[in-house]
Formats: sequence, C-alpha cells, structure tokens
Amino acid sequence: MKKLQVLGTGCSKCQKLAANTEAAAKAMGIEYELVKVTDINEIMEFGVMVTPALAVDGEVKVVGKVPDPEAIQDFLK
Amino acid sequence: MSDCCGTPKSNDAARSCCGGSGDKIVLLYACSGGANVAEISDKAARELMFGGCGTMFCLAGLGADIQGMVQTARDADLNLVVDGCPMDCAKNIFDRQGLTNYRQIKVTDLGIEKVKGIRCTQEQVDKVVAKAKEVLSNQE
Repeated sequence: MKKLQVLGTGCSKCQKLAANTEAAAKAMGIEYELVKVTDINEIMEFGVMVTPALAVDGEVKVVGKVPDPEAIQDFLK
Repeated sequence: MSDCCGTPKSNDAARSCCGGSGDKIVLLYACSGGANVAEISDKAARELMFGGCGTMFCLAGLGADIQGMVQTARDADLNLVVDGCPMDCAKNIFDRQGLTNYRQIKVTDLGIEKVKGIRCTQEQVDKVVAKAKEVLSNQE
C-alpha cells in the first residue's frame, strides 16, 4: 500500500492536490492511504518550505505545484 | 515557513520591489561562511526575504542531500544563489545536485574584498541587494 501525504495547511490548492492525487491513485487501481498533513512543524520535517506538496511513501515528489492526475500518476509508479 | 500555496505573505509588498512575479516561487540562498563576504551574503539574502523578494532557504540542507529540500529547490521557479567568493560553494552545491534553475551572484564580483575577522558594512549589503534585485528583475 502506498502512503500518499498531501502537505499543506488546507487551502484550495492543497485540496485540489489531494483530489488530483486521489484521482490518480484510483485511475491506477493501486492500494493507497491518503493523509493530509496540515501541521506546519510536521510539514517542515519533510524539508518543505513551500506548499502544497506531495510525498509518496515519505519521499517528496512535488513542491508548490498542483499537477494534474495524469502527471501525478508518474509519481505513483 | 512560507504561507500556504507558495509564497510568503511579505512577497506582495516586494513584488513591487522586484518587479512583480505573480505566484512565482523564488528561493534565496546565502553561502553563510566565515568571512566578511559570507556575512554580507547572509544579510543581503535576509534583506531580500524581508523585503518580499523571495523566501530564504537552507543551503546546508541541499548540501546534506535532504530529499525534501532538494525537491523544493528543483520545483522552485528560481533559486537565487548568493555566493561570497570565487570558491562558489553555493553554486557547486546546486551543480552537484543537478539543479539548473538558479542564478548566481558573487559578492567579490561587486568589488568587495574577502577578509576574515572584520564585520561587513550596510553599504556593502546594499550593493549586493541591489545586484540581486537587478537579477530578479531580469528573470521576469
């Protein structure tokens, strides 16, 4: 199971990234757990200073951008 | 930590100072070594940040290969690297990480001599800040 963590304090872009990530995972038919990380200190522990960001299994894949679901699929392979 | 969705709150104010850049993510790095030119680079980077020209970010984290920090730099629209001297330490860190989305300015290129054991002056910091703003404006 892949752990998908959306890092952001909950603004519209963070929500969009979460939705796109979920859409990508569903389209690929993979097992996943989606977690929204909203605590700033926890976000900074990833080394991320710009949000939203997406981490897959603990590895930060994209920062400060909201890729579309097709692009996110590349991060989930 | 920057405000949610990209850019620090103070950016709005200094977009006018840097010419305006929409939602561009600009990260600032100082070599922050031991000589006067490093102190200048550090102070200049902080002045640029508090003036809203970007977000100062951790060069040591890039050198230490902190994955999230490297990815943050990779995804930035521009990384402005303020090196103190011709050793180009900050630039070399970017090169070793395979990052190409950066511009470098060098304090000694601005006629400031590298000396150990002296404090920098505000005039020197201002000179570097002005050069940085010029570089940022040319990136628009």
